Amino acid sequence: MNYHERPTALQEQAYTEARQHFAEHLKQFRANCDAIHNIESNLPATANDASRAALQSSGRVIQTDDGTQWQHAVDLTKISSVCHRHTPSGLEFAVVECLPLKSGEMKDVLNSGHDASKVLQTFARDQRQLLTLWKDDVTAQIREHLEEKYPHQDMNIVVESFDIKLARDISRRETVAQNQSHGVRI
Amino acid sequence: METIPENEIQTAKPPIERLAYSVQEAADMLGVHYFSIYRLIQRGKLKTCRALRGKLLVPRTELLKLLQTDLR
Repeated sequence: MNYHERPTALQEQAYTEARQHFAEHLKQFRANCDAIHNIESNLPATANDASRAALQSSGRVIQTDDGTQWQHAVDLTKISSVCHRHTPSGLEFAVVECLPLKSGEMKDVLNSGHDASKVLQTFARDQRQLLTLWKDDVTAQIREHLEEKYPHQDMNIVVESFDIKLARDISRRETVAQNQSHGVRI
Repeated sequence: METIPENEIQTAKPPIERLAYSVQEAADMLGVHYFSIYRLIQRGKLKTCRALRGKLLVPRTELLKLLQTDLR
């Protein structure tokens, strides 16, 4: 736990119990932090690969829900990939996400632009914002869980320790990525 | 004539329809991973409200709207 005050035995117990209860959430969160970190670490190489694929005009065709046709270039995650297309104003890159829903697959352009590197940077930044949204929700769920399990007990210190831990997971990886992005050359 | 016991009358009430769901519940209903729900929220495809000190709740109406419009 991360705190300045010394926790009570009950707070220690609550922390351990909550960590077990939310183990899958915490594991998934860390895995997604790592995935974004990997994308940021490999950003120059991925942008190069995307540019190369665009020059060769290779890759399967993906039609997004707005009717636009793209050519697949590089996979980023299981459901998102860098795509490209030729437009009157030049080559355009996009991160396209194919989200499987029960009623069908949703194919959306997350962001696009003429510079593959910038498109990837925007995607990584949006992913980090998504992690913050996730962090706040998981923290609120942990608070709710503890309030139900330990009514009338002060569990703020426990909730804060989770919040700090998750925030550190995001920011630590962000710091590394920012340091690396200074050397990006396409 | 046989009378219905009072406790049985109470259980016969129709279940109250939920107005909103947690992210996990919304994911289960849509058949996707909960991370996808966060994505949909971030992209403005699902509007949410915050309750209980920040916990995200997805209104039932938003889920129905998404199901009706995601196949364009």
